[in-house]
Amino acid sequence: MFERYHIPLKTVQSRAAPVPKFVIVRADNCMNCGKCEKACIYGVHKRSEQDPRKMADPINQLCKNCFRCIQDCPQRSLVMMPGPEFRSLGRGTWTPLRITTIWGEAETGKIPVFGAGYRGMFTGPGYDGMWTDMSEIVRPTRDGIHGREFISTSVDIGRKPAYLDFGKDGSVETKFPPIIELPIPVVMDVTRLRTSSEGMLTGFAQAAGHLDTLLIAPPGLLPSGASAELNSHYVPAYPEGTDVDSIELQDGVRMVELQLGPSWKDDLKQFRYRFPGTVLSFRLNAAKDSESTVLDLVKSKVEVVHVLYDEESVELDSLDGRHAKESLRAIHKAMVSKAVRDQITLIAGGGIAAAEHVPKSIICGADVVALEKALVIALECRDCFTCSKGSCPINLHNAPADWVGGRVTNIVGAWRDQLLEVLGAMGLREVRRLRGELGRAIFYEDVEREAFSDVLGGSGDG
Amino acid sequence: MAEKDKACDKDLPEAALVPSEQLKFINRFTVTRADACISCGMCASLCPYGVHKRIEGHARILPPDDRRCIGPSCEVNYFFCVANCPTNSLSVGTSETFISMGDPRWTSEMILATWAQSETGRPLPLDHPGNIGASGGGFDRLHFRLPEPKAKFDPDEICTAIDLNRRGSGPMIRIPIPIYGGGMSFGSVSLYTMLARAKAAKKWKTFTCTGEGGYPEALVPYKDNVITQVATGLFGVREETIQRTKIVEFKYAQGAKPGLGGHLLHDKNTPEVARMREAVPYTSLFSPFPFHSVYSVEDHKKHLDWASAINPTALMSVKVSTPNDVEMVSVGSYYAGAHIVHLDGGYGGTGAAPEIAKKNIAMPIEYAIPKVHKFLLNEGIRDQVTLLASGGLRTAMDVAKTIALGADGAVTGTADLVALGCVRCGNCESGRGCPRGIATTDPILDKLIDADWGAERISNLYNSWRLQWCDLLSRFGMTDIAELRGRTDLLRHADKPAKGGGK
Repeated sequence: MFERYHIPLKTVQSRAAPVPKFVIVRADNCMNCGKCEKACIYGVHKRSEQDPRKMADPINQLCKNCFRCIQDCPQRSLVMMPGPEFRSLGRGTWTPLRITTIWGEAETGKIPVFGAGYRGMFTGPGYDGMWTDMSEIVRPTRDGIHGREFISTSVDIGRKPAYLDFGKDGSVETKFPPIIELPIPVVMDVTRLRTSSEGMLTGFAQAAGHLDTLLIAPPGLLPSGASAELNSHYVPAYPEGTDVDSIELQDGVRMVELQLGPSWKDDLKQFRYRFPGTVLSFRLNAAKDSESTVLDLVKSKVEVVHVLYDEESVELDSLDGRHAKESLRAIHKAMVSKAVRDQITLIAGGGIAAAEHVPKSIICGADVVALEKALVIALECRDCFTCSKGSCPINLHNAPADWVGGRVTNIVGAWRDQLLEVLGAMGLREVRRLRGELGRAIFYEDVEREAFSDVLGGSGDG
Repeated sequence: MAEKDKACDKDLPEAALVPSEQLKFINRFTVTRADACISCGMCASLCPYGVHKRIEGHARILPPDDRRCIGPSCEVNYFFCVANCPTNSLSVGTSETFISMGDPRWTSEMILATWAQSETGRPLPLDHPGNIGASGGGFDRLHFRLPEPKAKFDPDEICTAIDLNRRGSGPMIRIPIPIYGGGMSFGSVSLYTMLARAKAAKKWKTFTCTGEGGYPEALVPYKDNVITQVATGLFGVREETIQRTKIVEFKYAQGAKPGLGGHLLHDKNTPEVARMREAVPYTSLFSPFPFHSVYSVEDHKKHLDWASAINPTALMSVKVSTPNDVEMVSVGSYYAGAHIVHLDGGYGGTGAAPEIAKKNIAMPIEYAIPKVHKFLLNEGIRDQVTLLASGGLRTAMDVAKTIALGADGAVTGTADLVALGCVRCGNCESGRGCPRGIATTDPILDKLIDADWGAERISNLYNSWRLQWCDLLSRFGMTDIAELRGRTDLLRHADKPAKGGGK
């Protein structure tokens, strides 16, 4: 019987102290009249439990920035300020808002919904400078929220033969390359995490099994229990220069990743000889010439390429690198122009910091998106770098595996639901069709030129 | 132009002062007094703005009232308190509270300016920082190439009216200002908010829209100024609500959540709202997307014909969002018989929308207007369509820029709410709704807004905006707002407006 893919989501409470977006400071001239308590509908202001004559300190994480208490304070002794800890979260693409949004998604597994419209910048670098399309009239099964169960998010990892060969007796002679079908276009990659603990890795492994997706990890990193349990969801990733002959695969492994090095052609040959039924993926540090490298890989019938970007989605191996938005498009277009796009699966990893980055990467040409840092941010990581010194303000290394697994399942579930929203709005019924759908995306540079070329300074000369 | 022959309504409402004490809580600057203060009263005797006050008989001077302070720029004055304090115990700095308010699209300057406009009805100077946001793109990077102001203009000489029906048949409707109020459903906002908007619309002989949550009885006295919206949820859509209106608006999509239906989360679906929507109280209501009776342009025409058959005297408005092929959608709507094509861009207001939809799906309105305008011109049907734009228009200047980019007029929503005292805290979707009683149906909170007070505030805002448009038009030597349409040559695209005139 057909079983619909479904990610069961349940609330996974946060472990760390909340980071309030706004902080209310009560000055000394407060006369404890309690008007702020009456004014606040969120319960920020309460009388002190020890001494009811006094007001307790404001519970800042409940504050929604409505200014009612400040307005009603007869002594003008309340001051609202943007939370200093909130403002210092993250950097670059990983804005404080993105980080806290991930925390919320990982806690509830729900799509973040807010009122009052869009509040941010008009556009921005990278993925912030593109919009996805929508369709005013869509067919019944493509209805955004009510028909979402009919939208497929399945993708295939592996090479698809362009045509079939038949023998004289009509039997299929094509040898099918190994292929993996995933129910979501998202895999997890822990090879580049700054730090990880046994609990975290076990939790990631649980989530991968739960979500029926792949977990990419260096061999030996996962605790043995976790990798055995993961079984076919485990993808060992070997560093550059690994001797293929020395690789020992545990049973059930469907895919292996090798860092692309100068000897990749020999590695490929040797791998094919030793593991004919296993998908091989080459990890490629994105660079200026990635297009030609990928074309070479296609020519040698490599099934999967995993293109790596840095935390900001910028190419790794080039000074002044391109953003994945441009880089992926270039790789995709190079393959399309050679009519080989379906012969290789493109996994893109690095800098996936928000739900919208998944559909946007896919539109730019990726088949599958790899989550890396987002996995740790989902665990309430402050992105503060102190782990490199062996300490963590939220004691992440103590996080229990079940908790980690729940949080990661939630974040992937919430992101998949948001992917469905985008697909529904575009009137697409499967995510495979989204890949490389550049005509249905709106790029800042293009629309800017189109709309404002007859405005002084509009074509960039202002 | 044919439009010039038509009378321009001169009988417009007057502005009246509608103060709101509670909206004066924001201080731009903070004045702090250190413990070293000896309460000598020097600052109190110097400050002409009344920041410092020393009451005779009190041992200590009162804490500074920094709402009145003009900030560090005061240092050029002989009465600058900080420099004159004998104990050096005063300091002036920027206010954290002021920084906490607003966002790049609605800056705190803009919110305060809109409050001031709704209070006094006086126009904002065209170079005031409250005219423009800080989002770094779209309207916030478009500036008018303003010539120096000429002699004083007479607002009565300038016509800001637009026609809503340009097809040459059917009822003619002319509104004296190029804007009407966008749809906000009962449920997303309170009945008093709807009433305030309807009363203001009646005063200005323009319109407001019911939104998709049904047509509350209390709005019936204002039926000549209320648009009935037919949205995908079809909540409260009945024969009589379509028959009583002058304009029927079909909401295909909404800019803030394109490709998704309306959202009303469970907490806000109070029994009163549920009764209006014929739904179960306290369930989340998600409207479908799209109309499940419309899967083609032909269906779309049938839809409009159906409404026309119920009410032959009503104008048909089609509200669509801004996909890549928005120009084809507009042409299709024209051929289906729509009088008004209403484009709703992505950055507009909403009671509740998934965060991912607000920024990422469909293009901002600034790109859609020129696209549609040029396409309709080339099709030769531009003058048969009334093209209205909405979605992130915050100020009079945004509306003027919309028209200069090629629209006939605009539809506004959030600005009305800011006039009612919205601080843009962005919690309209949650719990009991709005702590300021605007976007809520909570029976206690909604008492915070008085409909008559609100109507005056919105009316003042329109008055102020009209004067700004008159100012702008007179600088360009125009007498009719229709002359501004499509004048992209008057715009400049840059981070900052040019200094000193700009031409």
